[in-house]
This record gives sequence, C-alpha cells and structure tokens, in this order.
Amino acid sequence: MRRPGRRHIRMLALAMALLAAGSLYALFAPQPQVATAQGDAALLAKGQELYSNNCIACHGANLQGVPDRGVSLIGVGDAAVYFQVSTGRMPLARQEAQALRKPPLPVFDPATPQGRQNLRALGAFVAAHGGGPDRPEQSGAELVGDGVARGAELFRLNCASCHSYTGRGGALLNGKYAPNLRAATPEQIYTAMLSGPQAMPRFGDRMLAQEEKEDIIAYVLAVRGERNTPGGYSLGEVGPTAEGAVAWLVGLVALVVLTAWIGARS
Amino acid sequence: MSEPSDRELREMSREQLVELGGELDDVAIASKTDNWPTRGTKPEKRAERAVAAWFVVSGLLALAFVLVYILWPDRYVVPGQDGYVRYSWYTPLLGFTFGFSVLALSIGVIAYQKNFYPDEVAVQQRHDGPASEVQRVTATARFAEAGEDTGLGRRKLLRRVLLGAGAIFGVTAGTLAIGPFVRDPWQGGDNAALWVTGWKSFNEETVYLRIDTGVLGEIVRVRPEDIVPGSMMTVYPFRESDRGDKELLLAAERASDSPVMLIRFRPGTAITHRPGQEDFHYGQYYAFSKICTHLGCPASLYDTQNNISICACHYSAFAMNEGARVVFGPASRPLPQLSITVNEEGYLIARRDFVEPVGPTFWEWRAG
Repeated sequence: MRRPGRRHIRMLALAMALLAAGSLYALFAPQPQVATAQGDAALLAKGQELYSNNCIACHGANLQGVPDRGVSLIGVGDAAVYFQVSTGRMPLARQEAQALRKPPLPVFDPATPQGRQNLRALGAFVAAHGGGPDRPEQSGAELVGDGVARGAELFRLNCASCHSYTGRGGALLNGKYAPNLRAATPEQIYTAMLSGPQAMPRFGDRMLAQEEKEDIIAYVLAVRGERNTPGGYSLGEVGPTAEGAVAWLVGLVALVVLTAWIGARS
Repeated sequence: MSEPSDRELREMSREQLVELGGELDDVAIASKTDNWPTRGTKPEKRAERAVAAWFVVSGLLALAFVLVYILWPDRYVVPGQDGYVRYSWYTPLLGFTFGFSVLALSIGVIAYQKNFYPDEVAVQQRHDGPASEVQRVTATARFAEAGEDTGLGRRKLLRRVLLGAGAIFGVTAGTLAIGPFVRDPWQGGDNAALWVTGWKSFNEETVYLRIDTGVLGEIVRVRPEDIVPGSMMTVYPFRESDRGDKELLLAAERASDSPVMLIRFRPGTAITHRPGQEDFHYGQYYAFSKICTHLGCPASLYDTQNNISICACHYSAFAMNEGARVVFGPASRPLPQLSITVNEEGYLIARRDFVEPVGPTFWEWRAG
C-alpha cells in the first residue's frame, strides 16, 4: 500500500515541471507578430482624424476595404499613402479603370508644410495597421542620384516597357495606361517604385536598391521638361517616329521649294 | 545640209562650228540671250559680289564646323549641372555649321548659274525607228569579224580553259555575295540555337537567376526573400564559370532568348498551371520567358492588378496566373515557363532549360 505522502510529492513535482515549462516557453517563444501602433499618439490621432474625414467611406472604419468601393489598406504602408494622396489619385473621383493624377486635396498638398505634416500623419496611421513599405527619410534633391547613365539602363530594363524610354507613358489594356512622368516628384517616383500603385509592379529595396532607385529618378528628371533635346525641340519626347515625320514633312517641303527655285527662270 | 569641206571647216568661226555641230545632231538653238549684254556694269558687279559672298559664308561655316568639332565641350552633362547649356549646344552647332555650309555652297552655285549663264532655249529633233538597213547589216558583220579574230573558235583548249576559269570565278563572286545569307539553324543538332536557350545547363552546372544592376560584371543572384509580392523582375541566366568574364556575362544579358520575367504573385491569387507544368514554380514565384511568342518583342507590360502581361509591339496579352495563356492579341501560344526551385544556398535556380523553344514560332517548332 502506498503512503499518501508520496502522492503529494508527485503532484508537487508535476506542478514544478509545468511551471518550468511555462517559464521556458515564455522566455523563448517568439514575440507576437502583430503590428502595433508606433510613433507618437498625437500623430496617429491626427492621422485617424484625416482618415475618417477623407478615406473611410471607401476603405472602411478598420481599413478593411469596402466591396466595389475601395481595397483594404492593411499592410500597404506609408509609401503607398504618400504616392496615392500626394499625386491626387486618392481620394478617387469615380470608379474607373485608371486612377487619374489630379491636384491633391489642399489638406494633403505636398507643397505646403501643413500638407506634408498631414501626409505624414495619415501615412503613420495607415502604417500602424499592418505595416508596409515606408517612405525614405530623404526627400527632394537628396533622392536624385549621380548615375544618370546607370539610371537610364535600369529604367529601360524595368520601367520603359510601360512608361516608354523617356517616361512619356503608354497604353495598357482594359482602359488602363502607364502615366506620363512629367510632373512626378522624386518622392512620388520613389514611393511608386516601392509600393507599386494600381497596375504597377512593386520594386522592393532588394530588387532595386535605394541607390538604384535614386539613379532611376535622376534619369527621369534628366530627360523630361524639354531638356536634353540636342535637336533644339523635343517634339513631345516620344522618339524617332515624330522626328521622322517632321523630317519628311518639313524637309520635303523645303526640298520641293528649293527645286522649284533652281528650275525657275530668273 | 551637206558636210563642209576641210577648207571650209578651217575658215569657220567658233560660233559657226557650234551651230554646225548642233545642226548635225538636229539641234537648233531657238533663243540665247546674255544676262549682261554690256560688260562691267554696276548691277553685274553687285551680282558677282553676292555670289562671292555665298561662297565666303560657306567657307567660314565649314571652318566653324571644324573648330566646334575640335574645341566645343562634347562630354555629356546632366541637365541642371554646370556646363549643361554649353554642352547642349554641341550637336545643334555641328548641325547648323555643317548644314548651312553645304546650303550656302549650293545657293552660291545656283545663284552663279542663274546670274551669269546666258538663257538658252534649244530644240532637238527626235529620231524614231531603227537605223538604216546598211548600218545594221554592216554593224553585225563587224561584231562577227571581231569574234573570228579572237581565234577562240579554232583554239579549243584556250576556249575551254577560259570558260572554266570564268565559271569558277563567277561562282566565287556569287558565293561572296550570297554566302552571308546562308545559315544552318540546325547546327548542333539537339543543342541548335533554336532549341536551347542560355538557361540550359551544361556539365551539370547550376544555372542561377540573376538581376541586371546596370553595372557590367556585378553579380546579384536572387533569393526568394528579395522579391516582394506583386512584383515582376527581369532575370538572366548566370553560371559560376561566367563570373569575372565580362564577355560571357554580357552575352548572357544580351542573348535574345535569355530574359525571363520572375513574378511573385500576391497571396491569394488564383493560379492555374499548364498540364505537366504543375511543379515548375517555387511557391508564389513563377518564371516565364519575356519574349513574346508572336514576333519576339519583350512582353513585359505587366499589370499586377489582373496579372496580365502585355507585349508592347502588337498588344498580345498573357494571363500570367493561368500559365501565361493568351487572352488577347495575335500571339498563338503561351509564354514558355521556366522550371525554377531554390538550391541549398537559398538562391533561386533554374531546374532545366525551357521545355519548348522561346520566342516566335517557326516551321519545325515542337514542344519538349
């Protein structure tokens, strides 16, 4: 027959073992992978207010999206917010194939300090819901690289198929198109590459490193705005077709006039 | 008019000789007026100076062209940086100086001709029909006589040797002209260029997926974690034996059948596979040839919202999440899929070459 004391010892040993296992688990278990709000509370509160005023109707109270209105914003990140809102694409004017670039809402105008602050607040609020790619810390001229030639090579490889060789854009299917890059700021080009707005593929920082993105930006800025036109006039910067047409029309007329003058009796 | 005698010819003036020559050819001068009937007038001198000025301008512009070509800064300068304006004038200046130099020269020549050549109207009679019977028969006899004189009709050896040498020379010349157009696309049998691409592994060597960074010789192999969801990246084949050899690296980048679109679909994308190619992908990572099966343009206008990739040339559209099935446009077969996996180092590698030829279809085309 067993002594009752032995059973108590067993129970105690079991309790000790459980406790030890629990403590070890607590020590080594991975941190929960739940995105938590970062940054200061005032910024997030401001962001939430801006979100509630401008975005909530289509993207939902919890950024989960609303069917037939707007996609979920969970995990899109600060970069996507900056691109979509600062280019005026969001808020969307109406549901259609292409989100058009238009003047941004005054509260989100990146040209004003208040607008920049609001963009940051809204971005922080959206990024607090599932993270996502962040905007680079640099801005403006700091985002323009030195390697224009390498930027050109990378642009031709990764961007030119849709945006054309000089960033003039081009047609896609189903009413979509790759937009002209004539008005895009360095921040907007950078955040577009990072977040892949609408139909565009994303280019993470390990697919195109930050320096490579900056070189691409340098190239885009170098070939637009009637600059880099050794012929004197860019003819819309759409390449040799326009140049050939002008050479034919203007050149042939000039030759015909010249021939008529040679043949004319003086 | 009858032919003049020797004595008459000797006594004729130049004007008369010109007129006689014209008459013999049935050419009559209807009118001929001198622009400057009185020599040395003021308007004539002015016209002369004007023509001379064009030639001077032409010469000066030609000189300016040479000076610009040698002295003007011609190294590329990025817009907005110092010296950009000066650089941007390089090409226009070359064009202006050379173009206007040629223009001024030709204007000068034409002005000279217009100002100082007399206005002349000449009429030439047209001769219809064949030559006279006598001329034709005698000319034929002359040719026959010349052929007889060569003696080749009698000397068989010379004739044959000459014909043989001529024929061989002709074949040689023809070969030079036509030879470059003759290609054997099936050279190499099963490894002929049309059957295999740069992704084929020789001697069991691993073929990695590599990103072009725009810097020649820089090797960036691809790990799955480098690629974000909803992205497309162009990759090229890379073998360790190519490392350091810029010629081979460049050849791999430039080969027209090398470019491959590495796509990572977004989670939740509905994906179907072509029969027999269910294991060609690695997780969400899919690799398809970038070369359109219609006419070989890069079919890389990739729309990540509906996973359709479009060819820029004729707008063939491929549903990339359905085995690159053609959904629009003139292409008739899907983009070939490259079978990929990850090796023990964690890099994406090609498991084998494409199972079908990439690019446009050809007569002998067959899968696998």
